[in-house]
Amino acid sequence: MKRWRTPATLLLATAVLLACSGQRPVAGPPGGGPSAASSGPAQGGRLVYGLSADANGFNPVTDQFAAQSYSMVTTIIEPLVAVAADGSWKPYLAESVTPNDKYDEWTIKVRSGIAFTDGIRLTGDIVKANLEAQKASPLTAAVFVPIKSFELADPMTVKVKLSQPWVAFPYYLAAQNGMIVPPASLADPRTASLKPVGTGPFIFKEYVPDNRMVVVKNPHYWRNGLPYLDEIEFRILPDSQTRAQTLEAGGIDAIGTSRDEDLTKFGAMKDAYSVHRAEGMAVAEYFFLLNTAVAPLDDVRVRRALAHATDRRTVISTLRGGLTEPADGPWSKDSPWYAAGGYPDYDLAKATALVKEVEAEKGPIRFELISTPDPNTMQGVELAQDMWRKAGIEVSIKQADQADLINRAITGGFQATVWTQFSAQDPDGEYIWMHQGYAKPVGSISLNMTRLKDDRLSKALDVGRISPDEATRKQAYATVQERLRELVPYVFVDHLNTGAIIARSRVQGIGEHTLPDGEKGLPLTGSPIPYHPFTQIWVTQR
Amino acid sequence: MIVVHRLVRLLIVLLAVTFLSYALLNLLPGDPVTQILGLSATEEARAQVRQELGLDQPLLVRYLDWLGGIATGDFGTSYITRMPVAAELAERLPVTLELLVAAQVIALGLAIPIGVAAARRAGRALDQALTALSFALLSTPVFVLGVLLILVFAVTWQVVPATGWTPISLDLGWNLTSVILPAVTLGCGQLAVYARLLRTDLIATLQEDYITLARARGLSPRRILWRHALRPSAITLITAVGLNLGALIGGAVIIETLFGLPGVGRLIVDSIFSRDYLSVQGGVVLISVGYVAVNVAVDLVYAAVDPRIRRA
Repeated sequence: MKRWRTPATLLLATAVLLACSGQRPVAGPPGGGPSAASSGPAQGGRLVYGLSADANGFNPVTDQFAAQSYSMVTTIIEPLVAVAADGSWKPYLAESVTPNDKYDEWTIKVRSGIAFTDGIRLTGDIVKANLEAQKASPLTAAVFVPIKSFELADPMTVKVKLSQPWVAFPYYLAAQNGMIVPPASLADPRTASLKPVGTGPFIFKEYVPDNRMVVVKNPHYWRNGLPYLDEIEFRILPDSQTRAQTLEAGGIDAIGTSRDEDLTKFGAMKDAYSVHRAEGMAVAEYFFLLNTAVAPLDDVRVRRALAHATDRRTVISTLRGGLTEPADGPWSKDSPWYAAGGYPDYDLAKATALVKEVEAEKGPIRFELISTPDPNTMQGVELAQDMWRKAGIEVSIKQADQADLINRAITGGFQATVWTQFSAQDPDGEYIWMHQGYAKPVGSISLNMTRLKDDRLSKALDVGRISPDEATRKQAYATVQERLRELVPYVFVDHLNTGAIIARSRVQGIGEHTLPDGEKGLPLTGSPIPYHPFTQIWVTQR
Repeated sequence: MIVVHRLVRLLIVLLAVTFLSYALLNLLPGDPVTQILGLSATEEARAQVRQELGLDQPLLVRYLDWLGGIATGDFGTSYITRMPVAAELAERLPVTLELLVAAQVIALGLAIPIGVAAARRAGRALDQALTALSFALLSTPVFVLGVLLILVFAVTWQVVPATGWTPISLDLGWNLTSVILPAVTLGCGQLAVYARLLRTDLIATLQEDYITLARARGLSPRRILWRHALRPSAITLITAVGLNLGALIGGAVIIETLFGLPGVGRLIVDSIFSRDYLSVQGGVVLISVGYVAVNVAVDLVYAAVDPRIRRA
């Protein structure tokens, strides 16, 4: 009578047995990890690290690097320069980077005694070949536009000749443009994209696209005693919720996240997890990008009305769990470049008055706001739509995927769009996005996506680029902030400091980063999810 | 002759599907060059890359060029990864195939006993409970079910990994543990459909004259059900298994993202977002061929299952 149950029961039992047949789903073997957390860093161990997306490739000359790419690739390939915790740049593979008096020529002296993991020694001509490849690459050439030529001064020294003074030039060598690969990688860029080789603390072991990348300790690393870990597995887990669940289940040791609920949840479990958040210049800003070349946003009164109508604190409390700080410019208050004052604060009466003034001249104010379709972004956009409607501005929302949205932004096919940007370590990093020289007409590619043309703003950016005096630079960037607040090409919302690394308590040393000459390096950088070096990370025994 | 006829139909389907998908993808706003070079590239650099990739050619020329390549087995090269598309697909196909097969095995393995049990006790408490369960599974989106299953089996009980993928070649045990949750998640929706179809057909079959005759001959209810009623009742189920391949592939796209599996579905979705036209096209060809092939196989299975069809 009840024998029909047998096949189903068998199947269920088989399923359960199958499920239980593997090992318990925790991260890999300890691999000789240290005995106690309190005894300080110790050699050995394996780390499994969850990333939100895969890299497009690992070749700094040909592949566009996002934050997740840097996480993986910087374990293998190193830059000429690094950023210190105080925001200054410091030599890394370079022994020194020295400007001439005018700052239109920089001399890069390469450290001796460093070798790539393929056995080739790092020399000046290899650095020169890398920089030349970067300047020739369609991917990175725009950044090196001010560079006229590279010359080999001696076997370990490269001179970089510029067409204009460029004070912040070394910062660009701290990222993709300054990462050095061996000649074989330059000769075979396709292989270099899949199997990176460098001078770094780890060596490439395995890469399965959209699944994992595994790197193992470089036993001949030029920095004595480093790295601590034997192996790192980067696991690509695009879904933010299941990534967090995998951490909770013990399947991985650390994750990158930008979800405020993860910060709240794991932050409350201090004994089991540590939460490391990006700070200062490393934090990007969330804002509405306005196209100042098209009506009605070509009218500064409309732009100011939008800023006055945006209640940033409500957005933060509603959408970010109160975790972020309101933004009034591209740099946060904990940045040395921040200058206070002048941003149109939330004032609905002022916003309404401005709208009425414009409407009396030009009629109703209506425009289209573009957003990516993901629920979090849409919530923010709908909240802004509601706030702006209260001031009398009618906004329709158009959804576009990331590729479409970016294309519209750079070609000018938009009125307003939601945007996240401005996490360069030096304000000069934002030069091409704000300078009027990069503002092109609608229909042309314009890196200055707001298309705002302002002499004072652009001259201040020029001063910041060429002046070696820090006080002068600070004054210049104060002017930049003042002009942005007056002309409102961006309606700022918040400093998106919810980008964080969450690690199980056995993982130590996240954000610890001592530079070769002893200075403290920048702990975390990049957005929306930050990245960090892995050289000084270590794990305690399970 | 039938095979030739099928092949001609397959070719027509493939041409239509690939052209439509190519055209639609190219009509999408967004530029693959921006995806490759990023925001900061100059207009000159963009033009250079556009020319290198042949994106400055008219749509039809590009399509015919791609089609010519396909005829010689060359699926082209990904714009983003610069890897041969055929190699990318070959690397990911086993993951998706294993997921689909496992999901179908789980769905059918559970749907048949559930459908039979519900049909035997039609209208009674067990039937109603199984019906309610089926509707609950049908109405639960896979991403919700997936997250719930991870919460229970991976986070709370820790009997399977929450995410990740281990190939069979590396470790069979780990492979099975990594596929079980995604397959159960994907299979649950199908399970409900299959169980409902089988139940309905079985109830109809059990009212046929030859079943009454079998009962009169004193055959046991179990023998009647499993030996005489199940096979003729399975035709609709078999049809659904073939047709549902499309739904399964659609679900696999979500499942692969949710569980971090490096399959074809995820490749296609990522490629659509990055406007990597040739990778999308490669995936479309693969899925189209697979879909048509499975449905041809289903036609052949009909004959094996039901002698009346074979004789006809």
